[in-house]
Amino acid sequence: MENKVAKSAAPSHGEEHGHGPGRYFVIWFILLAFTGLTVWTGRMDLGAGNLPIAITIATVKATLVVLFFMHLSEAHGSNRLVFVVSILFALVMMLGVFGDLLTRNPMSLPSGAPNFDVSPESHMAPHE
Amino acid sequence: MSSSEAHAAAADHPHNPHLAHHFDTIEKQDHAIRLGMWLFLGTEVLLFAGLFLGYSVYRHFYHHTWHQASRTLDLGLGALNTVVLITSSFTVAMAYYFIKKGKTARCALMLVFTILFALGFLVVKSIEYSHKFQEGALPGQFYHFHEVTGPGANLFYTVYFLTTGLHAFHVIVGMSILIWVLARVLKGHFSPTYYVPVELGGLYWHLVDLVWIFLFPLLYLI
Repeated sequence: MENKVAKSAAPSHGEEHGHGPGRYFVIWFILLAFTGLTVWTGRMDLGAGNLPIAITIATVKATLVVLFFMHLSEAHGSNRLVFVVSILFALVMMLGVFGDLLTRNPMSLPSGAPNFDVSPESHMAPHE
Repeated sequence: MSSSEAHAAAADHPHNPHLAHHFDTIEKQDHAIRLGMWLFLGTEVLLFAGLFLGYSVYRHFYHHTWHQASRTLDLGLGALNTVVLITSSFTVAMAYYFIKKGKTARCALMLVFTILFALGFLVVKSIEYSHKFQEGALPGQFYHFHEVTGPGANLFYTVYFLTTGLHAFHVIVGMSILIWVLARVLKGHFSPTYYVPVELGGLYWHLVDLVWIFLFPLLYLI
């Protein structure tokens, strides 16, 4: 609390204190390295592992961009809240829709959806 | 009581032409501007979240076909565009850094690089699109691509064109904003005490990069 007061009283106001371009270079290199990593792991056949790995790498890259290129790490609390809440609502939308789809009677699903797996063994695509 | 405070605050910054009359101080004005921008970016996240949701649902139903279909996209061009956008995000962050230091010429140079990268992205994307048009890998009823024929195959390309199309539209908008910002930088409108348009143009550009960071693995790699 006292720390925050001291910060806001300092002459450089909150979001505008400077740090060198070195940080931007480091983030840029990390992002390029992660791009290479996601291409490399994306072409491996990891079965069900591919999707979580790709999503994890993308989330790490996005977090780096938001925190350091977009300076959310130094932003006012209200700005952080706005952005985090928008992501939260996107997740709620995903969870709501998949909560519905995954618990439906298969008869009520769109026709011609051969890969809908009621049990993990049953997803044999007819064209294979 | 607040009006006397406002007058006192205005007396502290009598010469700031960028302070609108309805804000007490430039700090409050900047805070409001940034909050407004983040609110807008929040709506952009939700706009794309709808398309990502559509992607997730159809991928769930048709994941064998979609796996085949994603292999027909050009991974090399997709990866190249990822590198281009990440680098443009870096250059626009550097433009922001330089304008805060008062280095107008370097800021302008970084913005020029960013705009060129944006153009490069669109050129690569149009090459990919023209391949897809030739192959007939088109959305909905226009689909006549013979390599992928399972149920849900045309849906992959519908989602592909919708997501990358909306993203490409954002690239065009972002590029236009950065051209406008560049023109104002060259006219000397900005200084270490006033650079909010450079910052907000950069924020929009980073969002374009953010969306692509998710689109690239979901479309090209999964």
